[in-house]
Amino acid sequence: MKNWVKLMLLAVFLLPLAGWAQMKAMSTQEVQAFQQALKQLATVKTLSADFVQYKHLSFMKKPVESSGKLFIVQPDRLSWSYTAPFNYKMVFKDNKIFINDEGKKRSMDLGNSKQFEKISKLVTNSMQGGRYDEKEFAVAYFKDGGNDVVRLTPKLSEAKKYIQEIVLRFSSTNHQVQEVKLVEPSKDYTRFVLKNTQINKQIHDSVFDY
Amino acid sequence: MIRFLTISLLLTLLLTSCGTYKYPTSSGIRSIAPKEVNTYYADTAQAYVYRTRLTAFQKKINGNLVVKSISPDTHRLALLSDFGQTLFDISVFSDTYVVHYAMADLNKKKVVKEVASLFRLLTSRRFATEALIFPTQQYFPVYVANGDYYTYEERNLVEIRHVKGSKERFSVRFSDVQDALPQQIDIKHKRYPLSLSLQLDSAQSEL
Repeated sequence: MKNWVKLMLLAVFLLPLAGWAQMKAMSTQEVQAFQQALKQLATVKTLSADFVQYKHLSFMKKPVESSGKLFIVQPDRLSWSYTAPFNYKMVFKDNKIFINDEGKKRSMDLGNSKQFEKISKLVTNSMQGGRYDEKEFAVAYFKDGGNDVVRLTPKLSEAKKYIQEIVLRFSSTNHQVQEVKLVEPSKDYTRFVLKNTQINKQIHDSVFDY
Repeated sequence: MIRFLTISLLLTLLLTSCGTYKYPTSSGIRSIAPKEVNTYYADTAQAYVYRTRLTAFQKKINGNLVVKSISPDTHRLALLSDFGQTLFDISVFSDTYVVHYAMADLNKKKVVKEVASLFRLLTSRRFATEALIFPTQQYFPVYVANGDYYTYEERNLVEIRHVKGSKERFSVRFSDVQDALPQQIDIKHKRYPLSLSLQLDSAQSEL
């Protein structure tokens, strides 16, 4: 579970890279232009967004859907909450995870805080220009219509057990991540669609209450 | 958490005892004409999504259980975490199963076998050829199929007791049955603190 959570969080917050559908590999010049565009984005200090999560199973006609809200305050606060069809909130702060499950509250120490630091660092780096650790991921860049798409394929065997690939789709207008797709080794996948993303807007402390 | 759950589930598999199970208050057993039991998930046009709360050895995982009838005797079930991760994706047949996917930490032969057994009990249509006898007539009928006990109340299946050796292994309780479909299912392991609470999510189901 922890590994999954880490990978998911990593994927969701790897803001500068991503894509899918009829994709065409970017040329070297296009990759450079894409990375340059990301570097010119404002430094991300806070982020808030709504998300819709779609779990696709090969034997189901329609995906299992849930939705909620995401808040990040750099360097170390994060709130991930589902609001439909159930209420479940996870807050990362003070080296702990706080959970509010339909009113039932509990907290856990982050078992390996270095892992969390690593995720935070990756997220931060990604938000500020998309520097990916190519020891951990094979990175491929694509064009899909007007969107830029980045595909991250885990190289490490531990990650490969859980994730076949992470695909990120970026807006052609503001270069923010619009969708994150996590593909499991079985080919089933979960798609996160981000909406109403706001960068560097004040986020009230109460968001991290639980 | 998953590793702990794995170890916990493995522990539940140890030491099954032999003997004969006696259903409480029953006084005997009689043969009956074959009776079809557990037909809740026989419709191949439908798929069911149940909001799931799993508790195992004081650890909690929330998610969804997706149930799809492939044929009257074949069901495919996937247990998902809230984050969308597939924990198990298994097809169960009347006497065997096929694992499409099991998350790495849970992909242990005995754990998967136990989960498949539970999935089969939950969904499989059976034909009972025996029924219990009770000393008075005030009891609801209990049918016996494959060594398991199916209790009916007002024509609805309300409980299955899965028995191994002389011990009840786990029970499945169906409640709030509407349009021949249980809205709530509670599964309890009788020997270890392992339980699942399932609530039908009609909006996500394909009904």
